[in-house]
Amino acid sequence: MPDPSFLFAQALSGLTVAMFLFLIASGLSLIFGVLRVLNFAHGSFYMLGAYLAWQFVQWVGTGPGRFWWAAAGAAAGIAVLGGLVERLLLRHLYGKDELYQLLFTYALVLILSDVAKVAWGTGQLSVSRPPGLDGAVRLAGTVVPYYNLFILLLGPAIAVAFWVVLYRTRAGRLIRAAALDREMLGALGTDVNRLYTGVFVLGSFLAGLGGALVTPVKTIVPGMDVEIIVEAFIVVVIGGLGSFWGTFLGALVYGQVLSFGILVIPRFSIFSVFALMAVVLILRPWGLLGRPLR
Amino acid sequence: MDRRTVLSVLGAAVASLLVAVPAGEAQKPIKVGFPMIMSGPGALFGEPAAKGAQMFVDEANAAGGVLGRKLELVVRDTKGNADEAVRVSRELILRENVDFLVGTLTSAEGPAVSVVAKENKIVFIAPIPKTDQLTAPDKLHPYVFRVASTTTIEGRTAAELMSKWNVKRIATISPDYAYGQDVTKAFVDYVKKLKPGVEIVDQQWPKLGEADYTPFINAQMVKKPEAVFSSLWGGHFVTFAKQARPLGYFDAIKHNFFGAGEAASPETAKAMKDDYPFGIWGNSYDAFYWTEGPPAHREYVRRVSAYLKDEHPSSWAIQGYIGMQALTAAIKKANSTDSDKVARALLGLTIDTPHGKLTIREKDHQANRAQIYGKTVKDPKLGFAVMRPAVYIDPAKFMD
Repeated sequence: MPDPSFLFAQALSGLTVAMFLFLIASGLSLIFGVLRVLNFAHGSFYMLGAYLAWQFVQWVGTGPGRFWWAAAGAAAGIAVLGGLVERLLLRHLYGKDELYQLLFTYALVLILSDVAKVAWGTGQLSVSRPPGLDGAVRLAGTVVPYYNLFILLLGPAIAVAFWVVLYRTRAGRLIRAAALDREMLGALGTDVNRLYTGVFVLGSFLAGLGGALVTPVKTIVPGMDVEIIVEAFIVVVIGGLGSFWGTFLGALVYGQVLSFGILVIPRFSIFSVFALMAVVLILRPWGLLGRPLR
Repeated sequence: MDRRTVLSVLGAAVASLLVAVPAGEAQKPIKVGFPMIMSGPGALFGEPAAKGAQMFVDEANAAGGVLGRKLELVVRDTKGNADEAVRVSRELILRENVDFLVGTLTSAEGPAVSVVAKENKIVFIAPIPKTDQLTAPDKLHPYVFRVASTTTIEGRTAAELMSKWNVKRIATISPDYAYGQDVTKAFVDYVKKLKPGVEIVDQQWPKLGEADYTPFINAQMVKKPEAVFSSLWGGHFVTFAKQARPLGYFDAIKHNFFGAGEAASPETAKAMKDDYPFGIWGNSYDAFYWTEGPPAHREYVRRVSAYLKDEHPSSWAIQGYIGMQALTAAIKKANSTDSDKVARALLGLTIDTPHGKLTIREKDHQANRAQIYGKTVKDPKLGFAVMRPAVYIDPAKFMD
């Protein structure tokens, strides 16, 4: 039996992974739930968020509070980019065969990865932890970096904020209605196009924010777009595509399986996650908390 | 002029062009295919390596070419994937009609392309892949050569350096694939041989490209090692170190950490700046600040710095450069571009590289290529970690 403080440390590290993944997968799931578009380029928005955050840090410096401005700026920049993509390009593909939308978002992945390469080169870039969160604290016999604690608190905060917006505001009701029956909502006089743009902007914002916030603990390199989109897909498949709490649960499960998987079968930690996904797909193809497609 | 006249004039022009081609035949360039990772995370190394090769080609052409012919480099993106590397190599040979292949980066691509070279009887020089498999007796054939270091050389060099530290409990953390496994095994076997008292207390194998190393770091710290050998490379090392430092990992082992896989490269140091765990040991293929190096190296740094328009030029350019240098030296020695003759010329060939003399051994087609090793300190002027002193360690005694 391993030391309990060690198990605690593993659980915490799994939770941190989960919160990052939730941030990114929630946007992916939201966009699918409402627009019925599987946005492969979501990972590219995440990558560009990271690059933009690095760029802003170069401009504003690393003084107290500067990182947060950079992160907010990056997320806002990606939100604008998302809005433009939806308005100018994606809009023309609604109602067409799903294959066209898939091809379009996949083309975006290729284009944006080249854009990042031209703008920032192929070198590895790194952002320091923001001042004030660069230390660590001892918790129950294990060292926990402040920044990880911040992420652990931010994840649930975003989940709650999300829930309030979706279930307690008019905009949220419209979003849920659009997910259920787009034509009816339009017939009742709602501007569905604007709603779609809003949802896509929000989803992109979350991807950009996730990318910006991950920079203090990860390296920014080309290819991080594809890496994250695979993980985000696993999370939403486990949790249920389009289901909000499903995404949260999927992320938690992913993080813990990964963390404790390395204790049981150290060399197959990633295998356990894929195995779990396969089991979910066989037993509940619509995910843990998803609804079966009609 | 009516349309018919225009067409016939055009036709005549095209015909004259076609006739003109054979006249230029003698001046046809020597084409070298360069399959290399140009996209994804590996582009970090592949792109500067390709630029280093291109710099050599430009310099050689400016000096009149080779055997009176120009060199031409044809770069293709392997996307870091062995299947893709095989596909583009075949395309280079069959469609581009390249005379030789220089290139590949990962330890999966190298051996895969080696098979293509063997089938097509075309000389293939690997400038970067380190796996011992590439030139192992059962894989060796007349057309494959390597001017990169090997996992054996790298692991054993690290083992010899670490055997001088006052530590007994050693742990390892390496990416779980060919390169990580091979270099770690070479290290472990050799350090046990040099210092029989050591104990390997823990071995962690995160997958290649792991996003969160915290679980592995926690698991390792519990075993209380006194020193750690790692072969996490490039961006993987950056991510690892950024996550390990706040956990107190480097302090717990008193910075008795050996980062193989170029953890001390100027690129990594520059990316991390003050986040770098100063005081650890590491290596690099090249270092622009290596002032202890031979004069030829200082001269090379000046040129590559101007060529890349970077005052801190990449440490990877030199691998592409040396790869092309070995090939052209062999072409000159053979006085031919025939692959069989060039392959024979490569056996025992010695070239003067910016890092000194390099000899390709006859018995395993392997060059005595080493790397620069050293303990890192923060350079106050550059503002990032440098190896000081930086030492090029002769690999001769580690190769068998």
